[in-house]
Amino acid sequence: MTAVELASTDRELMDPTSVDDIEWGVRLLAATPTHEGRDRELLRQWALRADEFGSRLAPVPSTARVVERDDGLERMLLARYTSRPPTVELYTDMLALAEKLVDARGWRAWYPPGSVRAAALAHEAVHAHLHHGPAKAALKQALDHTVLRLGRHRLAGHVAGAEEVAAHAYARTVCGLGRSPLLLTAALRAELTRPGREK
Amino acid sequence: MGVVILLVMAAGVALMLTRKLPTAFALALLAVAIAFLAGAPFTGKNSVLDTVLQEGAPALAATMIAIILGSWLGKLLDETGIAGTLVRKIVEFGGDRPTVVALGVLAVSALVGTVTGSAPAAMLAGIIGIPAMIAVGVPKVTAAGTVLMGIAVGIPFELPLWQFFSTALELPIPTVRGFMVKLFPFALAAALAFVVVETRRRGTEHAWSLKAVDSPGSSGAKPRSRRAELGDAPWYALLAPAVPLVLALGFELAIIPSLLAGVLYALVTTTRPGGMNKRLLRTLYGGFEVAAPPLVLFISIGILLAAVKLPGAVDALEPLVKAVSPHNPVVFVLVFTLLVPLCLYRGPLNVFGLGAGIAGVLIATGIYPAVAVLGMATSYNQVFGVADPTSTQTVWSAQYAGVSPQQVMVRTLPYVWAVALGGLCVTAATYL
Repeated sequence: MTAVELASTDRELMDPTSVDDIEWGVRLLAATPTHEGRDRELLRQWALRADEFGSRLAPVPSTARVVERDDGLERMLLARYTSRPPTVELYTDMLALAEKLVDARGWRAWYPPGSVRAAALAHEAVHAHLHHGPAKAALKQALDHTVLRLGRHRLAGHVAGAEEVAAHAYARTVCGLGRSPLLLTAALRAELTRPGREK
Repeated sequence: MGVVILLVMAAGVALMLTRKLPTAFALALLAVAIAFLAGAPFTGKNSVLDTVLQEGAPALAATMIAIILGSWLGKLLDETGIAGTLVRKIVEFGGDRPTVVALGVLAVSALVGTVTGSAPAAMLAGIIGIPAMIAVGVPKVTAAGTVLMGIAVGIPFELPLWQFFSTALELPIPTVRGFMVKLFPFALAAALAFVVVETRRRGTEHAWSLKAVDSPGSSGAKPRSRRAELGDAPWYALLAPAVPLVLALGFELAIIPSLLAGVLYALVTTTRPGGMNKRLLRTLYGGFEVAAPPLVLFISIGILLAAVKLPGAVDALEPLVKAVSPHNPVVFVLVFTLLVPLCLYRGPLNVFGLGAGIAGVLIATGIYPAVAVLGMATSYNQVFGVADPTSTQTVWSAQYAGVSPQQVMVRTLPYVWAVALGGLCVTAATYL
């Protein structure tokens, strides 16, 4: 679950260079519960580390069953991974809207045709990978968030939302996207929630 | 006349079910109608105006004070960041294991449930707890159910509830406490089973979503932003929700002083002396806002209880109720377990609706000892408090998690039905 409250202004979406990919990650973390009031600089560090972690992940094979659904607009979803049974749901209506939006914004160079679907599959593959393998501990280590220290011993804490940032970074890297899928997420959100849009 | 009274009660249930009338108004109207049907005079002894309305309305005054204090403490836990800090720490410590996070949120919900009830309790634990669980992969229905099951673990130790059952059923507090202690293990076992079974059965869930589960900033409004400015509450302040319970259960202190002690503890551990007055007043007034719906309900329940206890009502209902009430312990358990769904959807066995009136009838007619009625009522309350899709905490939790209250009902009902079965078994074995 992303918990993306990517508070984006229209200007930022029309001029995406004004907000870099790490800043989108910071915004995602800031909107994730447990980070209220957290120092912005700390969030930036975590977003940076999670982004690096995701970018450096070796290609992750996905063994999950892929199911297509068409109620993404209603549920505000692009894709969903469930571990029991391992399944990736792709919301085709939302993916189609994303492709349309890419054209409308003139972002085709960043998001080649079909890349949104590929990014969705890659994104969910990382969730499956982190769920089943030792990579989750590696991400925790990379984030380096200490919650308890007893002498020389220290306990690394969980950073809610970091996995999501890593999944987007991985998708950006393996799909060869020019910008993070988070930018597209924010644009879709703005498009679907803009005043006057019929539900 | 008994049949007519029962028909009027059925009409009252229909009005509540179809939402033609709010429960509190329907109960008060029902009470007046029952009083007239029972042949009560307009004024004087055992009358509509003097007995039912005048004496009935403040009959549950002690409960109302406890509700206000519980809501006050709830507001303080929110504003001082105590509840939020508890959830945040749980996520930080156990975040890569969804079951551990869910168990932690369950524990916080249980603590909160001992202090206050309904939607405010769900909000205290859920505003951060539900999206935090979802963020670590707990499916939405399980996340909403975890908060509700957690609150239900706290319900047996919810001090305002002790006061309610004590006053409404005319039982001493130690008797109420004694039964609640017996009910607690069932609630705990069911809640643990819910979290462990459901998180394993459903696995984890992650979505690439556009929709933010409302961030605390947008839902919690001013108190949350104030908390954000102050940072986490200190570790010793996190004990605040347990203070009233420890005093009332461990030291057998009376309920109102126990709750007041909780309020004071939360205040002094989080607030500088200069800001105490302001914060106390602000949270107290906020507490009144939170307490308003249950207060109105308790006024109506007091009125209804006064009506069903009128001699005319007791005489009319006794033969009918006696004829259908099982006395064999096994039949008692079977029948009342099968009737569990009648406490859902504001049904006739809802303790905070007509169920209170039925409990009053059962006691006034002497069909069951008051303590057995306590057992029934509290067992049903465990179901109502979690699975009723019309109860405010269920509606709030489900909608906040982004699922329907009916989905939460379907998922939690088997567990809370088992709790009711356990409570009814204890009742039959101990008091029949």
